[in-house]
Amino acid sequence: MGIRTASMGMTPRRYRRRLPVLPYVLLSPVVLVTLVIIFYPMLQAIWMSVHDYIIWKPQDIRFNAFAHFVTAFSDEVFWISLWHTAIWISLTVSLQLALGFAAAILLNQDFPWRALARGLIIIPWALPSVVIGLMWSWVYDPNYGVLNDFMLRFGLLTQSMPWLANPDTALYAIILTLTWQGFPFFAVMILAGLQAIPSSYYEAAELDGASRRQQFWHITLPSLKGVLVTAVLLRIIWVANSIDVIYVMTSGGPGYATHTLPLYAFLRTYTAMDFGYGSALAVLFTLMLLGVVVLYLRRAGRDVT
Amino acid sequence: MRRLIASVFAGALLFAGFGANAEEEVRFWFHFDNPDNPISQLVSKFEQENPGIKIKAENIPWNTYYEKLNTSIIGGNPPDVAMVKLFALPQLLEMGALHPLDDHIASWDGKADIQDELWELNRASDGKNYYMPLQYVVLYLYYRKDLFDQHGVKVPTNREEFLEAAKKLTLDTNNDGRIDVYGFGMRGAKGGHDHWATFVLPNGADINKEGGLLTPEAIAANQWFIDLHRVHKVFPPSAPNDGFKEITGGFKAGRTAMTIHHIGSSAGMVEALGDKVSAAPVPQGTQGAWTAFGDESTAVFSASKVKDAAFKWVAFLSSGDNNVEFNKASGQLPVTKSGSAEWTLHEKRFVDATVASLPFARTLPAKPQTSEFVGSSWPTNMQRALLGEISAEEMLRNIDNLYFK
Repeated sequence: MGIRTASMGMTPRRYRRRLPVLPYVLLSPVVLVTLVIIFYPMLQAIWMSVHDYIIWKPQDIRFNAFAHFVTAFSDEVFWISLWHTAIWISLTVSLQLALGFAAAILLNQDFPWRALARGLIIIPWALPSVVIGLMWSWVYDPNYGVLNDFMLRFGLLTQSMPWLANPDTALYAIILTLTWQGFPFFAVMILAGLQAIPSSYYEAAELDGASRRQQFWHITLPSLKGVLVTAVLLRIIWVANSIDVIYVMTSGGPGYATHTLPLYAFLRTYTAMDFGYGSALAVLFTLMLLGVVVLYLRRAGRDVT
Repeated sequence: MRRLIASVFAGALLFAGFGANAEEEVRFWFHFDNPDNPISQLVSKFEQENPGIKIKAENIPWNTYYEKLNTSIIGGNPPDVAMVKLFALPQLLEMGALHPLDDHIASWDGKADIQDELWELNRASDGKNYYMPLQYVVLYLYYRKDLFDQHGVKVPTNREEFLEAAKKLTLDTNNDGRIDVYGFGMRGAKGGHDHWATFVLPNGADINKEGGLLTPEAIAANQWFIDLHRVHKVFPPSAPNDGFKEITGGFKAGRTAMTIHHIGSSAGMVEALGDKVSAAPVPQGTQGAWTAFGDESTAVFSASKVKDAAFKWVAFLSSGDNNVEFNKASGQLPVTKSGSAEWTLHEKRFVDATVASLPFARTLPAKPQTSEFVGSSWPTNMQRALLGEISAEEMLRNIDNLYFK
């Protein structure tokens, strides 16, 4: 209270003069940390992307302008990876959203042990990606895997299927894994959104004779729009950049069957030690992702804000 | 009270100062499949014998070992000593990361006990020794003796016999229309280049020479190897993605009748299969045989500030009983003459197969590109060829390009 009286007692001029310093002082640690751990590596990546930079050839580091970017556009693997990235993001995020939505609606019902179910659903999300990758590699294993075992027993397959070694199924098998890992995020976000909708809306709709379906379309969905747009945006970015599960399960193989662009950038950088080209791929991908995000916010986020 | 605090503070400072001055710390990076850490005993033994030197041993996961090592060098903070393989030597030299050990070795009394050929194998292209031998293995053929006997198949000594054996041992044992045993457990993921090299290189393919992989003989040999999977189907269908875990696991579980690996996995094989597993040198090609010499050495890094202490640790690991202890844990073979003479850890048939394979044990080209060949070029190209996405010739052309373009 004392502070408040004191500041209110200041003349408007003094108040204005003193204000600008303090916020900057308070913000500076955060800004400094961000500069050091985000902007510095970002600038360094951009710097490396315009240089020939192979880590075991320290004598041969030289400026090459946009040579890496030109190479990328004529690189077959770049296009393969880009196509896989598109499939990867669109399928994974939409499957996670659908599954998450269904789970949230279920968890929003009244049933015994609801609190327990809400706690358990978070488990896939809480597991480390490496554990998930290893676990699902065993699920898909053609010799001992539980998936093949089930499908053989029920006569859905006649020979066990090497899901991860078959280029036609490998990417989709990993997408399924990531869907399983990521749907709890949607479930929790949407559940929170559902609980924030005042029940009076539904009561009013009921009085007006709206059916369940009408209530869903005209009350639930519009009220959730803000949550959905934000959750989808976050997931697009996370899924796009997520390479750990792919790396553990197939390392991008067989051949290029599970290469996504960030994984390709990672493999060029760390197994070929070509930091220049790897950084160029990463910079290119960042620009593309930024484009997608801006477009998405323009269209989907228009009414939310 | 204030005086008490002050004296405690001063005492703490003094103590910390002593600690920093009196002890040299040697950071040591190693990789071990065996999760029981045997290093800790060796470390405490060393620290007792060498007061004033502390060893900080870090177990780095194998899959990203060289990625971490290379980035630590570029970042200016490599370990003082690390376990290293020969294929990495050219790159490490190019980066100026290694400290030559010749002067240290010349005055080291354990020098004569190291097997002579290992000094030769470890010598760098500039004539110096940067690597201290630590352990070695040679790859050979594991086979299921019981299945071979049961189906009247003899142990293959060349490619024709190998194909015949693999076909005969690809079996539907319970007549349900599904194959349960495959002839050969092939490693198509990272690390499988040794399987490929055994069947392709000694058939008119020279990986050390430009165009050496593009001769008609080389292409035919590669085609022959790919056909094992695509035409004869003697590999498990998962072969393109299979790594160490899958090939040894598949063999132990009785899913494959043959595979290629080294003595390090023999204990596990015997535990699972007992007398049913035996070993022989790999089959020959048209021009002799090729098998991989699996080496492991230690090296001191040029950035180290404690090079003398680091060499003491390096020498310690490669001498007498210590080397024997180390290899008991890693499951590989000791590099000393004294250690080899009384070696009893492995069953005789596996030691015999190793020794019989030594005359044609080779390493991959001592070139900087070999790291990329091992890490990504070979696995990707092999997988694509096994899946029919590229031809045998395209695969070899890509490898030739990696080394010579």
